[in-house]
Amino acid sequence: MVERKEIEHLGDLVKVDLNEPEKYIKQVEQILNYFDRLDKVEFHSDDTLRTQITTDGLRDDVHEPYGDSLIGHLKKDQNNFIRAPKMV
Amino acid sequence: MNLGISAVEFVSQAKDGTISVEEFVAKTLDRIKKVDEIIHAFITVDTQNALDKAKAIDKKIKSKEKIGSCFGMPVSIKDNICTAGIKTTCASKMLENFVAPYDATVVSRLKSEDAIIIGKVNLDEFAMGSTTEFSYFGPTRNPWNLEYIPGGSSGGSGASVAALECLASLGSDTGGSVRSPASFCSVVGLKPTYGLISRYGLVSYANSIEQVGPIAKTVEDVAFLLNIVSGHDPHDNTTANNEHIDYVKDLKSGVSGKKIGIISQMIEDGIDKEVASATDTAISKLQNLGAECIQISLDAVEHSVAAYYTIAAAEASSNLARYDNLRYGFDFGTEGYEFKAFVSKARSNFGPEVTRRMLLGAFVLSAGYYGKYYLKAQKVRAMIKAQLDEAFKKVDYLISPTMPILPFKVGEKIDDPLKLYLTDINTVTANLSGIPAVSVPFSMSSSGLPIGMQLFANSFKEKELLQAAYALQETTNLPEISL
Repeated sequence: MVERKEIEHLGDLVKVDLNEPEKYIKQVEQILNYFDRLDKVEFHSDDTLRTQITTDGLRDDVHEPYGDSLIGHLKKDQNNFIRAPKMV
Repeated sequence: MNLGISAVEFVSQAKDGTISVEEFVAKTLDRIKKVDEIIHAFITVDTQNALDKAKAIDKKIKSKEKIGSCFGMPVSIKDNICTAGIKTTCASKMLENFVAPYDATVVSRLKSEDAIIIGKVNLDEFAMGSTTEFSYFGPTRNPWNLEYIPGGSSGGSGASVAALECLASLGSDTGGSVRSPASFCSVVGLKPTYGLISRYGLVSYANSIEQVGPIAKTVEDVAFLLNIVSGHDPHDNTTANNEHIDYVKDLKSGVSGKKIGIISQMIEDGIDKEVASATDTAISKLQNLGAECIQISLDAVEHSVAAYYTIAAAEASSNLARYDNLRYGFDFGTEGYEFKAFVSKARSNFGPEVTRRMLLGAFVLSAGYYGKYYLKAQKVRAMIKAQLDEAFKKVDYLISPTMPILPFKVGEKIDDPLKLYLTDINTVTANLSGIPAVSVPFSMSSSGLPIGMQLFANSFKEKELLQAAYALQETTNLPEISL
């Protein structure tokens, strides 16, 4: 049984203001009930799928300056200062 | 001028001067103007750039300069793949005005071969969905019947190719998102082996299972595109550094002497009668071509949807944490905010399916439930891979219908997410295991709706997979779209 406070807690975890938490209760519960079938699987091994990736292909650790296109994405005021909301 | 030609035919006609690239691109743009009001495959159409590029390519052809192998072929790109200078919205209000500062590797590879990016196409928000109804910009319609869904999440890709609004498209496939619209729109769609195509510039949803995949009218076109977009990318460390393969060469090798396994679990419960009968026909046609078909049981498939949605939701909930309104999002002005309120105010703009998956992801990863859901899902994944490894010791290919059902009406299942999830039963196996799978248009239902067949091969066996897909394609005689 999924309750309103659980959904609100999950909303809190994923940092979303849930305007109508009720909307999600039934659906999330129904989907989790379906996921419960994983309990019935008989596993003959504890293996999980892992992919090995070599780290030889990493690029050199050299400084790459930010291009104008990236700077252009920042919000600026009329004096060309970067503008951000005030946090309290 | 016939917009219904294949991409490969376009290249040969542009090369020998039978068609002008500018004229073809202009005609394609006219077509988009005419039909996209009702189909709604496109989110953005890059009209002026496409025409300018086409003109420049015609000039190059006339002056016999070196030209890339695409010769100005108009291609659409799913709107979760970054394109410098054109918006990449992910069909989300969150990224409504986002313009990426760089091209995804797949896009820069297409551009370097003189493909023309004609526009960005619709999807379920952040690729989460299988109908293209969960787009902030509204649903895409199936070009074969406008009342029906085109499949998804790359519904814009499938519909734009089927409706002759471009010659080919790139989609992304996390749980069937290339193959579902390919099947429902009667076009070819390939989910390649995990690591064959770079994901650099693909907006992340579930990194361990998603891949970019080509969608086109024919298997030859898909092979042609795969030649361009596949291969190692230093920007994506999960790409394999394999020797380059020519997927077009020897495409017509056939399936004679090959063994094909029919996956029992994918043709059992809940399968539409017409889909089942089309599958039987496909199998007998492959047998007539000299293939031996046997039944293969993969019992882990029964748990695949639960495992897939557990893993996808878990990865989605952590990937989407980056939309904190600091790097992307909305301009809330400069008044004072409490940090958490600032972030959650912005994030309440996610649509219902994205929110649902983030909630589920947070749940299956939380203390007390991690072992019950996430860890078990990962074990199912290993189990599926082990069973597939065994199967591929006995057979060269596996076959199933791509979708167990026919396309359904827009709005029909939108309020029942679990019902929608269950339609992915035949496609998620390839994503969980990483193996390649292709959907080939095979027949039409009595009501005129497309039915696609799915072929699987072992990892990095795309060349052989496309040979079988070609053989199957050659047995079909499908109608042309009347739209």
